[in-house]
Amino acid sequence: MHQSKLKSLLLSLLIAFIATLMPWSAFALNLRPDFLLLVIIFWMLRAPNLCNIGAAWGVGLLMDLASGGIFGQYALAYTIAAFFASIYQRRLVLFNNAQQLLYVFSLLLISQVSLLILKIFTGSALLGWYYFLPSFSGVLLWHIAVKLGLKTGGRPSGT
Amino acid sequence: MVRGFHHKLEQQAAPAFFVRGPSSFVRLVFFTALSLVLIATDSKLQYLSSVRQNLVALLQPLQAVANVPSQLYRNSDEYFTAHHNLLSENRQLKQLLLKQSIGLQHLEALGVENEHLRSLLNANKTLAESSILGEIVHIGRDPFTKKVIVNRGASHQVIAGAAVVDAAGVIGQVTHTYGTSSEVTLITDTSLAIPIQVARNGLRAIAFGQGRDQVLDLPFLPANVDIRSGDILVTSGIDGVYPAGLRVATVSQVKVSADSPFAHIVCVPSGGVENHRQVLLVSIPHAESLATEELIAPVKDATGQAKKAAKPWSSGKANSHQAGAVHAPE
Repeated sequence: MHQSKLKSLLLSLLIAFIATLMPWSAFALNLRPDFLLLVIIFWMLRAPNLCNIGAAWGVGLLMDLASGGIFGQYALAYTIAAFFASIYQRRLVLFNNAQQLLYVFSLLLISQVSLLILKIFTGSALLGWYYFLPSFSGVLLWHIAVKLGLKTGGRPSGT
Repeated sequence: MVRGFHHKLEQQAAPAFFVRGPSSFVRLVFFTALSLVLIATDSKLQYLSSVRQNLVALLQPLQAVANVPSQLYRNSDEYFTAHHNLLSENRQLKQLLLKQSIGLQHLEALGVENEHLRSLLNANKTLAESSILGEIVHIGRDPFTKKVIVNRGASHQVIAGAAVVDAAGVIGQVTHTYGTSSEVTLITDTSLAIPIQVARNGLRAIAFGQGRDQVLDLPFLPANVDIRSGDILVTSGIDGVYPAGLRVATVSQVKVSADSPFAHIVCVPSGGVENHRQVLLVSIPHAESLATEELIAPVKDATGQAKKAAKPWSSGKANSHQAGAVHAPE
């Protein structure tokens, strides 16, 4: 069971990475959800013994490589998001689906805000409000995945 | 199997969720420190660039897989293009060719005449630039920077610093070369600056990207500068990086406000910065020797700095300000 989980973890990361590498451009790039972070959050909730802050850091490094920016930026942003994911992981069984969505949304937002702060420190131009669109599209993707039957540990709403 | 796993955990003294190694907070501190060290190393020192090149080469197969869907789409799109579309496009292209060949004949005559005049004046011949046709493979994934990846790299003799142009004008500059691809920073990126000249009156200045699409900026020009909206900006060529006379942008707006000694000048890039696939990578051979030869006569002291300016602009604004200090005063 351990083995098969590890396999599906790696496979999902690979798929998410390829999805990130796809030639997104212009508006689609602004809308692109952070596939890798979503997968990391999912596995941190499902299998915290396999996927922890270290894994998030490693995946962030991969993302740095793909984005061509300065090394360590995405790694740090993912680390911070993964930290918040891990401290609330045990409370997750009490959450219903709507609360879980809010929780995932705030994790995505945390990673984006930390990335924004880093980028400002390294002298990037400020983008418009659309910079935060990936958090919205990401949480939408999460919602769709849950509706399609992905088990994320949240209870159905209203129970 | 599942039951066995639970059984094993129950035997231990602590409940399952305490068996986790170091606490989250310790991990957070450790990995944050590691990231910060990486950021500092990569942004201030240049050790990691070769590591990055090798790792990017490893990513190539994944990149190829990721490009498959869009390529399939494009291929099928091309396949189903209607016959009459092709015919009308062919007709248009023929007309364009005719027009351009007439222009080319003029150009040849002018070239001969120019060479003759130059030899009369005993001036240096301008060096022929070499150009390589490349195709944009994908757009950079970092929304903060304006970069594209082109499918020509070090193995095709592309050098970092080469200018990237399309049919309508300059779109950027090669900033990193990898094995079979290279990274092009677009002129709209904040870290790229281009020495330009106003075509109408020959005024020299430096254009900076703004990090936004379709906007360039001409900062640090006095409020009474002779630039009007509609002016065409071309590369000045004095940096020894860009060939002279390529179109860069058109001035769209000149705003003068009472509280600033500088004019606020906004330009629109002429090249299709965001819309073409085929681009030309143009590099001047022996950029440094050209720069020194041309500048040696007028200002002897400035040659050292001119050499610096002739290097690629990849290191950003600090470098370009230096160049501005050498060339900008009119």
